Amino acid sequence: MLALYRALLRLYPAAYRCEYGDEMTDVLREVQSENQKKGALALLFSGMRETGGLLYGAVREHFMGITGSYDNGMFSSGRRSAMRSEFRFPKATVGLMMVILAAVMFTIEKARAISVSIPHANPAVGPIHPTQAMIVQALLATLLWALTAGAIGWGILHLLHRSGVHQLSEMNPSATPKHR
Amino acid sequence: MDVSEPVLLILLSLAEQPRHGYAILQDTEQMSEGRVRLSTGTLYGALRRLLEEDWIERFKEQDSSRGRQAYRLTAAGRRNLQMEVARLKHLTRVAALRVARKET
Repeated sequence: MLALYRALLRLYPAAYRCEYGDEMTDVLREVQSENQKKGALALLFSGMRETGGLLYGAVREHFMGITGSYDNGMFSSGRRSAMRSEFRFPKATVGLMMVILAAVMFTIEKARAISVSIPHANPAVGPIHPTQAMIVQALLATLLWALTAGAIGWGILHLLHRSGVHQLSEMNPSATPKHR
Repeated sequence: MDVSEPVLLILLSLAEQPRHGYAILQDTEQMSEGRVRLSTGTLYGALRRLLEEDWIERFKEQDSSRGRQAYRLTAAGRRNLQMEVARLKHLTRVAALRVARKET
């Protein structure tokens, strides 16, 4: 298990490993030793927790390196009280789009049925012509495009939220200057 | 700066006395009665952030044969912790009043 932890520590940025790697390995060794005394189940849960923590930590440190932000999620104001991200994918929008698509499809089918029932007024509708088929395809493509755009937009908002950009206005200019 | 419960527990742990990483893990778990079990990755992410914010400082334990790194609160960290505790006291007082009012 310790070998796995060491391998996971290699996922961290080199500077971080250099600064905290040995210390973290010591702590992981002590945690493992303690849980070995408690039994196999404790060791298993501890292993899962530590593995998840190390993976999350590695991603967080690389993210910090890219964005320059030290917001690791534990410090964000929303996390403390809300416990849920304010930036969630708008499921209602997806639902609404599906309803609209279903309504359009239903209307097309209804129009075709009416057309068939009045043969004199309108010529019978035969197999779907390429033009009609293209309308359905265009609608599906539009829906997919809208979903993709929504997902990208949500991703950008989520990243901005995680980076703490929205907290810039709350920064106290008289705060203690950082060192190191 | 707002702090989450795990970070608050880390600060409370260091408020009592300087501790090294594993001792902080044990103390936070004990303080939260087993509810908060920090992973090592999470702990060091928080410690790094607190070091960056100058709330804590790192030093080599003199009395340890292994010369382990330990952490202690800075004056700024203690001041900020006191403010956070005062904020929580106010919140629990208001919460108690509101809940009591609802029950009557």
